[in-house]
Amino acid sequence: MIRFLAKRIAQAAIVLLLVSVIVFVLLHLLPGGPARAILGIQATPDSIAHFNHQQGYDRSLPEQYVQYLGRLLSGDLGESYKLNQTVASLLGERLPKTALLAGLSIVLAAVLAVPLGILQAVRRGKAADYVLTGIAFLAYATPVFFLGLVLILVFSQQLQFFPAEAPQADTLGGVLAEPRALVLPVVTTALGIIAAFSRYMRSAVLDNLGEEYVRTARAKGQSHARIMARHVLRNALIPLATLLGLYLPTLFSGTLVVESMFNYPGMGLLFWNAAQGSDFPVLLGVTLIVGVATVLGSLITDIAYAVLDPRIRSVT
Amino acid sequence: MTDSLLRIEDLHVEIAGRGRTVHALDGIDLDLAPGEALGIVGESGCGKTMTALSVLGLLPGGGKVTGGRILFDGPRGTADGPTDLAAAPEPVLRDIRGNTIGMVFQDPLTSLNPTLTIGAQVAEPLLLHTRCTKAEAWEKAAETLRLVGMPRPAERMKNYPHQLSGGMRQRVAIAMALVCEPRLLIADEPTTALDVTTQHQILELIDELRERLGMAMILVTHDLGVIARRVDRVAVMYGGKIAERAAVRPLFATPRHRYTQALFAALPERATDGAQPLATIPGLPPSLVTRPAGCRFAPRCGFATDHCRTTEPELTADGATGAAGHTFACFHPADPAPGQDPTAEVRPAAPAAPPAGTGEPLLRLDGVAKTYPLHGGPFARRRGAGAEVSAVAGISLTVRRGETFGIVGESGCGKSTLGRMVVGLEAPTGGTIHFAGRDIATLTKRELRAHRRDVQLMFQDSYASMDPRMRVSAVLREPLVIQGIGDRAEQARRIAGLLDDVGLPRGAVDRYPHEFSGGQRQRLGLARALALSPSLVVADEPVSALDVSVQAQILNLMRDLQRDKGLTYLFISHDLAVVRHLADSVGVMYLGKLVETGPAERVFARPLHPYTRGLLDTVNAPDPDAEQAGTPLGGETPSAAAPPSGCRFRTRCPAARELCATTEPPVTEPETPGHRVACHFPLTSEPAGDGAAPTAGPIQ
Repeated sequence: MIRFLAKRIAQAAIVLLLVSVIVFVLLHLLPGGPARAILGIQATPDSIAHFNHQQGYDRSLPEQYVQYLGRLLSGDLGESYKLNQTVASLLGERLPKTALLAGLSIVLAAVLAVPLGILQAVRRGKAADYVLTGIAFLAYATPVFFLGLVLILVFSQQLQFFPAEAPQADTLGGVLAEPRALVLPVVTTALGIIAAFSRYMRSAVLDNLGEEYVRTARAKGQSHARIMARHVLRNALIPLATLLGLYLPTLFSGTLVVESMFNYPGMGLLFWNAAQGSDFPVLLGVTLIVGVATVLGSLITDIAYAVLDPRIRSVT
Repeated sequence: MTDSLLRIEDLHVEIAGRGRTVHALDGIDLDLAPGEALGIVGESGCGKTMTALSVLGLLPGGGKVTGGRILFDGPRGTADGPTDLAAAPEPVLRDIRGNTIGMVFQDPLTSLNPTLTIGAQVAEPLLLHTRCTKAEAWEKAAETLRLVGMPRPAERMKNYPHQLSGGMRQRVAIAMALVCEPRLLIADEPTTALDVTTQHQILELIDELRERLGMAMILVTHDLGVIARRVDRVAVMYGGKIAERAAVRPLFATPRHRYTQALFAALPERATDGAQPLATIPGLPPSLVTRPAGCRFAPRCGFATDHCRTTEPELTADGATGAAGHTFACFHPADPAPGQDPTAEVRPAAPAAPPAGTGEPLLRLDGVAKTYPLHGGPFARRRGAGAEVSAVAGISLTVRRGETFGIVGESGCGKSTLGRMVVGLEAPTGGTIHFAGRDIATLTKRELRAHRRDVQLMFQDSYASMDPRMRVSAVLREPLVIQGIGDRAEQARRIAGLLDDVGLPRGAVDRYPHEFSGGQRQRLGLARALALSPSLVVADEPVSALDVSVQAQILNLMRDLQRDKGLTYLFISHDLAVVRHLADSVGVMYLGKLVETGPAERVFARPLHPYTRGLLDTVNAPDPDAEQAGTPLGGETPSAAAPPSGCRFRTRCPAARELCATTEPPVTEPETPGHRVACHFPLTSEPAGDGAAPTAGPIQ
């Protein structure tokens, strides 16, 4: 188990290094290079050459990469062109907020989707299955912005249960102090995930119910409920672990719509504004974070696999 | 009969599927005394498994008991008489399952939960049915594992199923069924998924435990060899009904129902002469969607009259055999006097195959070896050269044109890898393969393509080896198109000819593989292999998935085609009886090595290698009176990743000595030319010196 984890973490480190290479290459693919991007189209060749020398952009690429990597490791991601702040401090402010939104949504989704999926599998072909399947498809097919608008209209404008704006506090503690304001953004993000997860859970449970070990458990005298809890659940969670890892990076970049809709100052909003204003260091910083989230997501999947499935633990 | 433990009366079971209902069981009557062993035999789809499952109320989705009773003599012999399991509510059934009736299923690979430890799974029934604590249950589970012959049970309790071999997993499954000491054990094909030697060990174990615990048993199987010496009485099922019921000896000695008789006749073991075709049962079992009128076997029976086709025969006793309780449902039963009666359908004797061994060598293997790295991926090489699996380790043999060369061995012995190398699907890591005088490793790409035309592969599971979305015409045309043979009209002509050859209707071209039965699919597989008119067909377990009667059809077909087209077969199988019937020469493989090779009749009649001897002694002969000859093989095959030094068989060999551990045995011909063995102490007829005595002593 420990060897397995060590191996996976080492692999993750290699992938992260590759991510940094890609981001570095992206930096140099900017139209006209970073100098043009920063100094604008009117910049004279002299000022560009001066800028390039000042920033070290006139050295060889490998040399520049080592320099870039060194800065990266010391947490220096460059400075925002627009916000007069370092990228690292911007990300430090915004990342926890997005992580909170994504984490709460995923937890909510898992907590609801697992039992819903089981329920659908057990009631397969009955009314509950059809109704839940219908709702899941509807939630899955509805664009997030529309879903958010509907939720705001109903729960904020009409019923006035929850505010339409997310917490605006700068710190995590401040955000958490307004739990009511978090409800709508979290629910909006989670609904699509619940729909997807519950579909997967349903088919995983159905697959496992058809397995012979379930028949063996019945032949021992186990009740249906205990077979589900003791035998099927763990086996059915294995495919869900894959999905969880896949969703993590999507959430870090994909809360963009939700964040701008609820005016929640997270990474998505940061990315959106940076893209509007051609704030390349910020864009690349966010890209790097999403890359890291992708690698972490698959690392989490691997660990979840190893915990759930003893076969994987011993194979590698 | 008040003393029965289990009595099934007129049981009807229906299984509702998509828009159709299968009448799986149609009036089954059985009874079982305490401590008695009953065998239920029949081919696939006859309802034997449904009978077993309905006892525990474990019918698959859509299945339900529509009539009859299943009377089980109360959980602990209650005063209020037997319980009707067919009508009992779920809680009552739950109390019986795993407690007073234990069940073992066919596939130990899938019938255990992969994510729970062995200990948790064996202790589970105890925690459900007894008031013991977790610690007590754990202790009892370990004890039961010891009882079923699990080495180091306390350690194994913490293992997961995938860490055990197939045989050990089946021991776990048996331990789960027995941990509450049930009064009845239902075993549904408990050894079908296991190797010959493991099969024997498991059956012996069940026998022994049954005796010790005084359990009754229902043994469900398709294998007549398995029940022959393991049960007291046998019920033969056909088409959802019982065809014949008798004590095991009278049934095997004088089968009365024409189906039972035909089933025995189709066994390769019963074939009188290897040169003669096997008796077959034409046609297919009924589908049971509609209840057939009359005798269900009538459409396939050579003795059926109009009476059989319109009136259903009842199970009746007949005084002719004098055996008590021998009943059968047949209007024209077989004559009990032996040898007086023709068997169901023996086809006219075909001219014997040309004598083998006269042809020129077609395939020659010299020291062929194949090793696989144990760890894949880009970092594999750094782990050192030690981590590899030696699947095939230096095999030399010669196959002559027109003969059938049988390769026998247990799973993991490398026989399939060998077949794949001969076909050219894998390259050997050592040695050479000569085909028709040319080393296939030196062939150019174009020549290799032509070579592939000459060597074709036939698979165990033809269905899995065909694209389910291709029609038969496309499946059979593909090899012709790849090799660029003929135009469309010519190809269509060849396909029609192929279907004629393998006995399928020409109309089959427009159908999809799933529309065929197992036997027909195997005919299709053969047709595809023959499409390019190869000279060598490598058949990898071609009949292992088939029922006995269908197996006989395919074996006969393969033999006929060999005669007509001058084919050469490399026939790979774990089934000694099939190889014995079909092969001219035979090679016995163990853990990547060819331990013995020679003319089939010599090898089987006078084996020289202890492993061959052990295999032959282990086989379950379909004969209740067969003496257990010699010593069946014990133990398990070691891992090919760390094969034993010297002779690879020495860890299981009764005659192994020091020399065997240090030196690899050379290949010798101690008796007759052509009969080669790789053993330091071959089982020659005249023991040279202290030859056969398995005492350890200094050598040289």
